[in-house]
Amino acid sequence: MTQGAAIDVLGVAKRFATDPPGAPAVLGGVDLSIGANEFVALVGRSGCGKTTLLNIIAGLETASAGEVRVGGTRVTGPGGGKGVVFQQNALFPWLTAARNIAFAARNRGLDAAAAAALAAELLRLVGLDGAAAKYPCELSGGMQQRVAIARALALDPAILLMDEPFGALDEITRTEMQEELLRVWEARRKTVVFVTHSITEALLLADRIIVLAPRPGRIVLELRPGLPRPRRRSEPTLARLHEQIWDALRDDHAATRA
Amino acid sequence: MNARHALPPLALLAALLLGWEAAAAAGWLTPIRFPPPSRLATSFRELALEGFPFGAFLSTHVVATLRRVLAGYLIAVALAVPLGLLIGASPLLDRMASPVVAFGRSIATLSLLPLALVWFGTEEAPKVFLIGFGCFWVMLSNVIAAIKLVDPVLLRAARSMDTPPRDIFLRVMLPAALPRIAAGARMALGMGFVVIVGAEMIGTSIGLGALIMEARTFYRSDITMVGMACIGAIGFALTALLGLLEVRLMPWRRGRQT
Amino acid sequence: MAPPLRARLAASPALAGALGVALLLLAWEVAARLLWRDPATLPAPSEAVLVALRLLTPGEIAMHVLISLGRILAGFTLAAVAGITLGVLCGRVAAVERLLRPFVEAFRPVPPLAWIPIAIVWFGLGEASKVFVIFLGAFFPIWTSAWRGAALVPQVLLDSARSMEVRGPALLLRVVLPAALPDIAVGLRVALGLSFGVLVAAELIAAERGMGRLVMQARELGQMGVAIFAIFLIGIVSLLADQQLSAIIRRSVGRWRPV
Repeated sequence: MTQGAAIDVLGVAKRFATDPPGAPAVLGGVDLSIGANEFVALVGRSGCGKTTLLNIIAGLETASAGEVRVGGTRVTGPGGGKGVVFQQNALFPWLTAARNIAFAARNRGLDAAAAAALAAELLRLVGLDGAAAKYPCELSGGMQQRVAIARALALDPAILLMDEPFGALDEITRTEMQEELLRVWEARRKTVVFVTHSITEALLLADRIIVLAPRPGRIVLELRPGLPRPRRRSEPTLARLHEQIWDALRDDHAATRA
Repeated sequence: MNARHALPPLALLAALLLGWEAAAAAGWLTPIRFPPPSRLATSFRELALEGFPFGAFLSTHVVATLRRVLAGYLIAVALAVPLGLLIGASPLLDRMASPVVAFGRSIATLSLLPLALVWFGTEEAPKVFLIGFGCFWVMLSNVIAAIKLVDPVLLRAARSMDTPPRDIFLRVMLPAALPRIAAGARMALGMGFVVIVGAEMIGTSIGLGALIMEARTFYRSDITMVGMACIGAIGFALTALLGLLEVRLMPWRRGRQT
Repeated sequence: MAPPLRARLAASPALAGALGVALLLLAWEVAARLLWRDPATLPAPSEAVLVALRLLTPGEIAMHVLISLGRILAGFTLAAVAGITLGVLCGRVAAVERLLRPFVEAFRPVPPLAWIPIAIVWFGLGEASKVFVIFLGAFFPIWTSAWRGAALVPQVLLDSARSMEVRGPALLLRVVLPAALPDIAVGLRVALGLSFGVLVAAELIAAERGMGRLVMQARELGQMGVAIFAIFLIGIVSLLADQQLSAIIRRSVGRWRPV
């Protein structure tokens, strides 16, 4: 199994061709180093460029300036050991849960039998052994995201990029899924970049939290909770860090609007 | 579509026309099967100025066809819209009517030709009947579906505001169903143009459909092709006109793809 | 005590539908026998069936049906293959769309029946010209639906595929095509209906057998009963074909996309 790889974001800027001249860039030159097997959360309000940054790391979008290196190799496109989990509805609706996972496995060269075996193994890992023959429309939102995580893992990626994977779930399912993700991550160590707009979620999950602010998209705060997992929501340290992140977001918002 | 994008299809069109003309001139294509573009242009002039059969000008054919299509279409719409509203609004009626409507749509309109002749003679009436019949079922099934598919949330919202039943029908259901009704009106018009050519096979040499068939007996495929182009152009223009009407009638749907 | 009729009708759509059909046939029967009383212009439905069964053997009827179905199947299948291939390409490959779409849009408003004379000149009076006209009737709705379906594939599915390094022809075949299937299915049903609509006209092209020919023959011989029987025959066969197609769609697409 492939181990996590380090990610280096070097001066990445992004401007869309359709932006009017003079408008602030979506990303204004971001530098970020993520260690192998580190779990990093990107937090910020809508429009701060966190998803764009994730997509650039994934190779789904190209940077206007700067570059991204994964395991020392420059990213030129998607694939090549970069697993992506999207917010929702990214499973192929015409394939069963097992076949969705096998689809990914086949794409990295496994034969049909090996892909099916891997799919069964990963379904067990995410606690869905019974749902192998179900179509995505027959699964709840939380179950769909478990399959999506299993599908990304089937690529045997060195890094796992997650774009608000639990953003569309209800609070209760979301909490379950956060615990589930940590359990899977303990079993299969990967470098994780996790985009979320929930400060609590970032605090519960990540080794390091990167706070982004918009216009232009940039890093305004970095912090490490430094607490063992699983973390309790009532932890006083988390409450303090939560205030600290919220202050950073609010101050920036006030400053840019003034 | 800007100029740069219009170029490739225009170039292809020019190449095709030139190749066609050259192949005809070289004798590779027989003029009866593929009358060259230059011949079609001459035929068009002949049809417009001298007429075919002699004295039946292009304008005469166009007016006759338009009158038949519009008469049949308007009668069909006038009958189908109220009936469809009635059926769509009553679940019991809808259940009773649904096999009848499904069967009515399945009847091949042109198979009614013998009945139309016996019932309505050979003048204008059987042609208008056939066109009307074809348009009617398309329109009816679309109006019924449009009413049935109105979002129940809208109706509940209206009821919660103590809207009287009459207003619910006129001011909520009808506008909510209008987009689908309009789509049905466009499909029905298309059906009118499918039927017209067959309807004009009977007892007339006036009308674009009749012209197309009549030209065959004189081995004038050039006239047939000109007739096809004309009927296509009219169908296109009328559909575009309906599209404009829709935009006027439903300003709240402006900017949406249909 | 038996539940009131109204409640039973509400509980069973099939019962309500059967009642609707029965009422309509009864009204026709009564009108034809008691009011109109001229079988030469309006035979009652029962008369039409009896006359047709007297004049035609079951074997003959089956032959007409099978020959028409064969033509429709040929034209429809060709249209499905061409329409889906070109539609998916137009929906996903900008260059193909720019090049092809103006031509398809230019030919679309020309009614399929208007091609009959040209079909005869190009393909003669045999089977090919009939299949060609049915093909033209079925092609455009399939093309449009495939094009729409392919153009509207959700971006997140395309991104997923890209993140798994699926691209090029594999992307079209393994992601775009299945994602567009629900749309294509709608187009296929419209196209099958149109194929039957065009059939009668196609069989005007010097056909000796087929359901459309049956109608025209009845007209020439002045057999109104047979004409009405044939009209119903085409309608019923068309309805059954549509139900067969929609059952196939339900079994395939319906499994992963509830309808």
